[in-house]
Amino acid sequence: MNFIKRAIRNVTRKPSKSILLILTFFLIGNLVIIGLGVSNASESAKILTRQKMRAVVSYKIDYNKVNDYVMQLTDEDEINRFYENYPRVKLADVAVLLQDERVRTANAVNTNMWYSDKDNTLDFVHLNNQVEENMGENGQSCWYDENNVQQCETYKEPYFLIKGNMFPSMIEFEDGDYQIVSGRFYTQQEIDNADMVCLVSENLAALNGISVGDTITLAVSYYSNWLEQYEIAEEELESGFEVIGIFSHNNPITPDAPNFDYIYPYENPDNMIFMPSTSEYMAQLALSQKQFDYFARMYPEESYYSEDKRPSMENMEDNLYIENVTLLLDDPMNVDRFVEDHQDSLSQFTSLDANNEEFNKLAKPLDTLSIYANFIVWLVLINAIVIITLVTALTLKTREYEIGVLLSVGASKLKVIGQFFIELAIVAIIGFTLSIVSGSLIAKTLGNKVLEYQIASSEIVEENNYYYYYSNGFDPWSTDYSTDITLDDLVSEYEVKISPLIIAEIYVLGLGIVFISVIIPSFMIMRYNPKKILMNQN
Amino acid sequence: MSAILELENLNYSYIDGGYERQILQDLSYSFEEKQFYTILGPSGSGKTTLLSLVAGLDTPKSGRILFEGKDIKEIGLHKYRRNDISIVFQQFNLISYLTALENVLLAMSETDNELPKDRKNVAYNLLERFGIVASKADRLVNQLSGGEQQRVAIARSLASNVNLIFADEPTGNLDTATEKEIINIFKDLAHEYGKTIIVVTHSDSVSSMSDQRVLLRDGKLTKL
Repeated sequence: MNFIKRAIRNVTRKPSKSILLILTFFLIGNLVIIGLGVSNASESAKILTRQKMRAVVSYKIDYNKVNDYVMQLTDEDEINRFYENYPRVKLADVAVLLQDERVRTANAVNTNMWYSDKDNTLDFVHLNNQVEENMGENGQSCWYDENNVQQCETYKEPYFLIKGNMFPSMIEFEDGDYQIVSGRFYTQQEIDNADMVCLVSENLAALNGISVGDTITLAVSYYSNWLEQYEIAEEELESGFEVIGIFSHNNPITPDAPNFDYIYPYENPDNMIFMPSTSEYMAQLALSQKQFDYFARMYPEESYYSEDKRPSMENMEDNLYIENVTLLLDDPMNVDRFVEDHQDSLSQFTSLDANNEEFNKLAKPLDTLSIYANFIVWLVLINAIVIITLVTALTLKTREYEIGVLLSVGASKLKVIGQFFIELAIVAIIGFTLSIVSGSLIAKTLGNKVLEYQIASSEIVEENNYYYYYSNGFDPWSTDYSTDITLDDLVSEYEVKISPLIIAEIYVLGLGIVFISVIIPSFMIMRYNPKKILMNQN
Repeated sequence: MSAILELENLNYSYIDGGYERQILQDLSYSFEEKQFYTILGPSGSGKTTLLSLVAGLDTPKSGRILFEGKDIKEIGLHKYRRNDISIVFQQFNLISYLTALENVLLAMSETDNELPKDRKNVAYNLLERFGIVASKADRLVNQLSGGEQQRVAIARSLASNVNLIFADEPTGNLDTATEKEIINIFKDLAHEYGKTIIVVTHSDSVSSMSDQRVLLRDGKLTKL
């Protein structure tokens, strides 16, 4: 008869002792399940909500770092020099981050409003709203000069929103918000060569009979007086772009959209045109250079207008003023880790932002709940260990005789310890198994009540997110790709469930309690002398 | 007949009230196989201490105990207890939550000695041989009488198939009739089954039935 059989017999043939121990483990089990269930529900709610959020990390200029640095400068010239060479996000640094296999793509976007050539050969997709009805061919921008005399400049109304990126894919396309229906996205080579290529929407293509491979002419925006002031011909503002792709999108604007009547043509995603940032820069280069030349003539002493600062393809990166690059990762759960991994190797004055401040703020009640629940689990476990250890140690005294007999017939001390462990493990498993049923029911009810109380006492002030135009939160100008979440998003994911993992955890903890509880009694057994025990008995 | 157990210059003492109390002094003796021995002696003479030493439950301060010519320290006390000897106690020392049969099987499960495969039947037969029928064998031991429990203890001592059995006042808690029965069993074990039985007792009636009577006095054993 081995020690396992003996243990089973001891448990089954001493029912009152076993029932008391089962009851003890049952109570411990209930408390542990409640704690684990609530803690797990809090963590799961956070994870599920986090998974719904876009996996984006912003690599940007850290203005706090900039400010701290400037604050400690005392020399005026030094401060001026710093501002002249104000920190920018370097594409070379972004390239290093892009080598991380968790990064799917990056957006370093620059946006412009353009229009068709002077003959308006390219029509825009119409919404037929109030703005379009009132919109003439030209707009006016007015201001008051130093003599309080109103000055006005006329400009041609732009129709198209140009979105350029420095990388050969965009978050919008990777995420499926925009889909290529024909052709392709631009390549790194086209970006590097500043090839005049673009992607247009399927509605714009259909309206103008554009197919992939066609060339469309676009003109950069300008004020009418610029032509004379900067000595630039209208034709110089126009560029031909080969359409390499046609896309569809998930942001259609319908007449029931909020502020529908105030949406400008260039704010309609159908009138959005994607192209490499370099191509966008190239198209504006002639204007940029002539503007620069004009001001260089006006202010010849200004170092800002020195020859080396004249816009060119070589100093494009400086002139694009990139302050924020958004990286799209493969998994929202990798975001924090990614930031952690790269934070220390970033260039000066830059930082990585996991865009989770709001999330963390909203998740605070769940965090607090999780902390309390974990605290309860640990408290119960420690108490359980102490109680079971004491019970076992006290029981040992009454079983000295049995131990003496076992040792006298040649049973090893390890087998005796093993028997004690198995006996406790059996009652622990029975107690915990029973507690799974009752514990789950209590955990569900109690968990929800505690969360309600926690939220009520947390005094969370949710930020009133300002949605630019549309009910679905689409903002054509935004470079913020993070996902807005609310407390309701988090709470809706909160559900106390006793998963197989928790059940497994309960059993592991139960056996852990038994194991630790047997350690001290084991030392006592190891010190037992069978002669003393048996001679005392006899 | 050859010696199964030899004691060589055994010394044993302990501190009692600040004074060293010598229990065994240069004790030497040889126990032959297949004999039924009784060790007699006045109270406090060290009979139980001697039994605990030869049973491997304690160790002498000096001297050697040889089992079949081998020092039991070399065999290992734990292994010696498991495979070479068994002990019958005055209080029977059975495990209360096990049946009579399971108590016998316990000894079988712990020994390394070769045993028949059908242990359960062997255990039943062993118990039956000592008057414990199958219906009683399946009872918890605390449901048996004192005499029956001692029979179970003897059956257990034989279960591990050892040749040397020690007994410490095995009839101390039994009535005269049962005492006689138990002693007859010991005699049978020695003479029919070739076991060596060493019984520590203060009972003259028990010692009168043994093959050899040995007196423990002043820390030494003397053959009577």
